[in-house]
Amino acid sequence: MNFEQNPKIEELLNSYIDDELSADERSEVQRLVRENHTIAQRLRQLERCKAMVSSLPPAEPPAAVVAGIKQLLRNHSAGTSESKHIESRRGARHLFVRQVMAASIIIGLVGIMGAVVYRIVGPEETALPIVAVQPAPTVKPTASPVAAKPEETKKTVAVAAVEDTTSIGLYSLQLQTADFTAVDAYVNKLLEESPWLRYEATKDQPGKSAYRILCSRGGLEAMMSDLATVWPKFDSTTLIVRTDNVGQDVTVASVKPEQVADIARQDTIANRVKLAKDFAMLNSVEQIMPDEKMLAATERSMPELTTIPKPVLTSGDKNVVTAPKGAWDQVQVDLNVVVTGHK
Amino acid sequence: MIICLEFNDLTCCGGGLGVEVCLIRAKRVAHSQHINVEDTVLVQKWRQGDPSAIEQLVCKYQGRIYNLILKICSNPNDAAELTQDTFVKVIENIEKFESRSGFYTWAFRIAVNLTLNYRKRKATVGFTSLDAELAAGDEQTRQGLAAILSDDKSPDPAQIAENRELCELIQKGIRKLDDEHRAIIVLRDIEGMDYAQIAEVLGTELGTVKSRLSRARAALRQILEAL
Repeated sequence: MNFEQNPKIEELLNSYIDDELSADERSEVQRLVRENHTIAQRLRQLERCKAMVSSLPPAEPPAAVVAGIKQLLRNHSAGTSESKHIESRRGARHLFVRQVMAASIIIGLVGIMGAVVYRIVGPEETALPIVAVQPAPTVKPTASPVAAKPEETKKTVAVAAVEDTTSIGLYSLQLQTADFTAVDAYVNKLLEESPWLRYEATKDQPGKSAYRILCSRGGLEAMMSDLATVWPKFDSTTLIVRTDNVGQDVTVASVKPEQVADIARQDTIANRVKLAKDFAMLNSVEQIMPDEKMLAATERSMPELTTIPKPVLTSGDKNVVTAPKGAWDQVQVDLNVVVTGHK
Repeated sequence: MIICLEFNDLTCCGGGLGVEVCLIRAKRVAHSQHINVEDTVLVQKWRQGDPSAIEQLVCKYQGRIYNLILKICSNPNDAAELTQDTFVKVIENIEKFESRSGFYTWAFRIAVNLTLNYRKRKATVGFTSLDAELAAGDEQTRQGLAAILSDDKSPDPAQIAENRELCELIQKGIRKLDDEHRAIIVLRDIEGMDYAQIAEVLGTELGTVKSRLSRARAALRQILEAL
């Protein structure tokens, strides 16, 4: 039998001598060995070959090998303990850095969240700046345009307030009258004799005068009070209150002088806009029902008349709040007054 | 008292069963997976920081690993160096040892791979021909070897071991085998590993082990007969 052509028999015989066969396979091999002399001879050759190799005595490892491995172990033990120490220090440092970074991130996030929350729920405008000057007392000019002039000290303080504070908004007051010459002369004289006002007059067209007025709210109130005497001479009075949003200005038709002062008295743009809308509605109702006397609650001067409450929101919005007295005259009002006559 | 023995997939708690029963069961499972329980315990101790555990493992296997490498590479100096390299690898990679196989087969696999790779590198550089060495054999020894191969009686291992020159001649025959055949002969006939362990050490299938061992023995017999 040529075993090179039957490698499976050779494998079977090898597995037999290595005791890697199942009981059935062993029985089969034993049967083959009994029946086939060549296979039996091959099996004996394999057994002898295996026995010879197995009989080889083991070699003792040289002392140098053992010593080298022991040294290796000592180095490893020392290295391990040292590296563990270094690792622990490195780990502690790494942990500290991570903690600091985490704390910084948390503080940053809290700051950002605080800013966002403040933007959402906080007041729309910051508190009025505290200026280290003596606030000018409210001056109530007389109805006459030639009323007594304010004292010199008051003038100085008023100018300082105008220069040091910010504007609360730009208003445009458009007044139309049939008696342009007389009314414009009155307005002109009023402004000239009100040293607490700063104004700029433009008269480039006949029958039209434009005044840009910068004043405190107290000054505006005084000026509007003076203008009230000639108010019946105006055929049309319109106040335009500017807002932050372009195209959403509020127009108050048939505006009254005290309404202008009331609107300017408000602290925030939202409050000014809200009050302007309220006045616009009231004035339009008055135009529709001319026989009815309807006055806003803000008209304190005529308490004997029937009044209706000034509209307020009940949905939790803050009520209209006037400026604190201390900051009263430190807020600058920017007002354009245009007086036109009929063509 | 509850005693728990953990061998990766096997957890045996002695709460309800007797401790002896647990140990017997653990040994059975370990045996079926070619895992030496003692080795596994030593590896666990080493991982827990006991340096004496690795010393015990090294002492236990250094001789066998040295012999394995020596039989494959045939050079005592190379064998000494490769044995040290093997233990360096063992120490470096002990964390990767997953205990699915025994420590013994895992370490032997490292040793065989290192040695075969070393042999491949050396073969590219140039290797000494064995024919010259074999030609220097004693005539009397050759006749003794031929007698053993042709004798119907089984050879006496003690007699062979005592005959130094005969041993040398057999070793020379083994050296003439190619590396793969030499490694499988050493693992089976000298180390006494079963086929499954050999497959694990060489990273091959069981069928490959059977066929390769068969071819290796046939080649060795032809070499020895030719001597």
